[in-house]
Amino acid sequence: MRNSGGRSLSRPARRRLRALAALLVLALVAAACGGGDRDDETTDTTSGGGNGDEAIIDTSNCTGDTATGIEGNVIKLGTSLPQSGLYSAFAEILRGESAYFEYVNEELGGVEIAGETYQIELVNRDDEYQAEQTVAAVTELINDESVFALFNVVGTKNNLAIRDLVNDQCVPNLFAATGSPAWGNTDYPWTLGTALVPYPLEMKALVDYLSANDPDASIAVLRANDDFGAAYSETLKSLIEGTDLTIAGEETYNVELFDTKSQITSLAATNADVLVVGATLIGCPDALINVGASSWEPMIYMSGTCTSKTLMEAAGDDADGVFTVLPTLDPANPANDSNEAMALYKEKVAQYQSEADPTNGIVAYGWTAAALLVELLEQSPAADRVAVMETARAFEASDVGILRPGATVSTSADDWFLGETFSLVQYNLADQFFADVGDLIEEDGNTAEYTPESLING
Amino acid sequence: MNTDRFTPRLLMTVVAAVLILAALAYLPQYYGESQTKLYAEAIYIAIAALGLNLLTGYSGQVSIGHGAFYGLGAYGTAILMFDHDWNFFATLPVVAVLTFVVGAAVGFPALRLSGMYLALITLGLATLFPDLVTRFVKGTGGTSLVQPRNRPVPPEWAESFASEPDQWWYYITLAIAVVMLVLLWNLVRGRFGRALLAVRDHEAAATTVGIDAARVKVSAFAISALYAGIAGSCSVLITGLANAGRVEVFQQSIFFLVAVVIGGTATVIGPVVGAFVVVFLDDWAGEVIADKPVLSPAIFGIALILLMYVLPDGLVGGSRRAVAVLRRRFGSRAEPIAPPVPT
Amino acid sequence: MDLFLSQLLNGIGNGVVYASLALALVLIFRTTGFLNFAQGEMALFSTYVTWQLTDWGLPVVASILISMALAFIMGVVIERVVIRPVEGGSPLVAVIVTLGLFLAFNSISQLIFGTESKVLPSAFPDSSWDVGGIRITAQTVGLMVVLAAECLLLYWLLQRTKLGLAFRAVSSNAESSKLVGISVGSMLALGWGLSAALGALAGAMVVPTTPALTAASLQAVLVYSFAGAALGGFDSPLGAVVGGITIGVAQALTIQYIDPLNDIELVVPFALIGLVLLFRPSGLFGRHVVERV
Repeated sequence: MRNSGGRSLSRPARRRLRALAALLVLALVAAACGGGDRDDETTDTTSGGGNGDEAIIDTSNCTGDTATGIEGNVIKLGTSLPQSGLYSAFAEILRGESAYFEYVNEELGGVEIAGETYQIELVNRDDEYQAEQTVAAVTELINDESVFALFNVVGTKNNLAIRDLVNDQCVPNLFAATGSPAWGNTDYPWTLGTALVPYPLEMKALVDYLSANDPDASIAVLRANDDFGAAYSETLKSLIEGTDLTIAGEETYNVELFDTKSQITSLAATNADVLVVGATLIGCPDALINVGASSWEPMIYMSGTCTSKTLMEAAGDDADGVFTVLPTLDPANPANDSNEAMALYKEKVAQYQSEADPTNGIVAYGWTAAALLVELLEQSPAADRVAVMETARAFEASDVGILRPGATVSTSADDWFLGETFSLVQYNLADQFFADVGDLIEEDGNTAEYTPESLING
Repeated sequence: MNTDRFTPRLLMTVVAAVLILAALAYLPQYYGESQTKLYAEAIYIAIAALGLNLLTGYSGQVSIGHGAFYGLGAYGTAILMFDHDWNFFATLPVVAVLTFVVGAAVGFPALRLSGMYLALITLGLATLFPDLVTRFVKGTGGTSLVQPRNRPVPPEWAESFASEPDQWWYYITLAIAVVMLVLLWNLVRGRFGRALLAVRDHEAAATTVGIDAARVKVSAFAISALYAGIAGSCSVLITGLANAGRVEVFQQSIFFLVAVVIGGTATVIGPVVGAFVVVFLDDWAGEVIADKPVLSPAIFGIALILLMYVLPDGLVGGSRRAVAVLRRRFGSRAEPIAPPVPT
Repeated sequence: MDLFLSQLLNGIGNGVVYASLALALVLIFRTTGFLNFAQGEMALFSTYVTWQLTDWGLPVVASILISMALAFIMGVVIERVVIRPVEGGSPLVAVIVTLGLFLAFNSISQLIFGTESKVLPSAFPDSSWDVGGIRITAQTVGLMVVLAAECLLLYWLLQRTKLGLAFRAVSSNAESSKLVGISVGSMLALGWGLSAALGALAGAMVVPTTPALTAASLQAVLVYSFAGAALGGFDSPLGAVVGGITIGVAQALTIQYIDPLNDIELVVPFALIGLVLLFRPSGLFGRHVVERV
């Protein structure tokens, strides 16, 4: 690692520097001044790992100081997410996170790790949802901002793009905000997925539900034309092997165009009993509306990524009766307001982030992710990167954020998936929220079993 | 063309070039990884802009789709390195041939189309390319990302100035850019450059003096595609990945075009200057209003418009005008005002 | 057969959407002689304005009309203030300025109206009819009627009025039109105003066919609209409509019948354009321009 002077300057100072860069450098060259600010000294600090013999994470290749990012009683975290451009709606996550961290810092005195109390500082970067910008942002967060860990970086591609980087530098990438099965890949111990339900488990819940209620249903699949959509259809196909469930047809749609009209017409011609919508963002309500406009009336299962209030409102009447999964309480459901955790969430968001809408699921997600992070830090035996990551690999928490009461999320040495406890829910149009269908589903440790291997290690 | 041997003008150009190169060479010694990366980005965008200038500046055709050739180059390099374990340098000739051939095929309609329709066809290219990638490339985690792990490591002899990989990658990119610039310089100062200008200024007239306008235009398109492709290859070296979302490809295309126009069309050095302005302007726009990141594209866009007001003929054109004004005011002693040759 | 007809109808439904924005593109090309890349994002901004008005409780049709009027003013002001300084210079500079506007409008819309998606009510009733097993929505029929009306109006304006003649004169040769006493500046401003108003109308027609209004709402549509306008010939309103619908239909039929082109159905419209332009470089309905040496 370098400890260049340029890096430790404050941002405005560096900006001014950059503006003067050409002049400055010319002057330096002219003066034949050999000594630059970039220090080429390499400090290979190899850490033994927190749990001695039982270490899950091989730290022998790690370079850098494992306690980087903690100065005095401040622990500095970094996040990167779209805040401008076409995907800036995700920026609301940051409001939920900030509300929680401010609450912890100001009202609880901070987060306690091994008897010491630390204030949390979250440095954020805008990556416009573009993977190469995420790489640039994360490089900057690690090298220039010297963050202790990365937290809740948004997007599957974005997290895949930085997974080698965080591996090489041994920086924890905690609660990556995607439900991709790729976070189960044990070659990448420094990346931990979030509490979103892994996409393959959604299909498991659906297949279980159908096996009990409509065992010989035919299923039509509409999915995004990328890895996200493939996770749904490939898992579904492998799960229905040996059952009487059949696939009636499959169509893909272009995630960047959101238009599903022709695909739905084509699937409607199969007259299948069930439609799986492996779509996201505007693709979800678009599919629901197009089904509503046809004469086809299948039971619809929709991706758990579509549960935001605004998307459901966009679908209007056609959202009625749609099934999906929720790992948290629905903040739009007034019945949940009596829940203590929900009441705290709404109060603190209103207090610290008054511009945010607490009934927006994206804000609630950010709040819960932040709460999980604080829980993880408090369980860590020491304030260093290896210890935190080791803790993340043997982590158990319940009643965190607005996760469902009684639901436990956990990881272990051979189970790297977190969000394996959730409920199947159905949208109720008259009340405008999701109502639970059946009991809490507990699939702890089962994600890898139901997921085609190529989706995890591909 | 070579009558200007040893003029003060040439001497000044050489001195300036050496100084600028020295400054660029010193940068990664001074800056940390993030800043070095930003400069490297400016350099590879400059490569693409150099080539696009051949098409836009010298040949008068507008393309808003060169992000697709850039993507093609990036994927060519990344896939050869990742799937077939090729050395980075070995991928360059392959990418060059590939993008040249595809460029020629796409450039063929340019024979028949006026500037605006060509712009549209290229816009279509920028729109279609991401779909093709999503459909046919299965990279990391089932996405269309391809991330080679075998980027060149700094050799021992370079230990003294490039002990770390990012410095080494920067120098490789810089070296490639210098080679590409010199090649282009030779090209536009020769017969081909004159033919291009003749075709741009009056195609029908150029044809009557024996210039094969069709061949000149298609060549310009193919060469510009090649430059964009090599820029894409370099981007894999710097960012470590190939990626092509619709927004990214469109944005790259715009960056190249903006670099050409801001720098000054039909000048060799203009697009290089333009590329640096674009990259740092974009970076600045992202930081200037820290609490309202949603506004950063607007700041970038408005800055572009203002730049166009101040310097409608680009930075190079603008500085030439400034020099001309100064000369007129203080009297010109050294030399008569030179005819406008491509510099 | 039913399936074929349904897909055909889907295609026409999407096609009229592309056509309505393509018309705005053609209008600005006809009146000012260049392409405005910010057209879609200006329309996006106006659509947000329409949404805001309906959200305040105004009826949809009234909101659209007010928004069109505001868009007209916005178009004129932008031409006068932003475009004027680069007029008459290199067309490339104008292209960069409209690209700058493109970025600015998208991001400013998000700043003013927020990043969350909005539901924009449709100007048409939510009813549909079953005709021999095929479902036809009032939305599609309404759009076609509006489009036909726009087409007629534009044809009349551009071909049958003095104003249209002046537009044509300015866009083909600004210098000569000055000599015959046409105020070039006010014609260009008027062209920008009209096409901005048409864009506002297109946005208000197009967005309700999608689930919600977001910052991305018009970008995908715009690509197809450009394609439609190119196919039809950039200076012909009728061409824009035929081009837009052709592309919509080609797209829908590709999705249904040509599986190897799944996810890359964009190949079809662009192959179509390539083909048409090879044989007719000015598009299907465009006028051929003869150049003199």
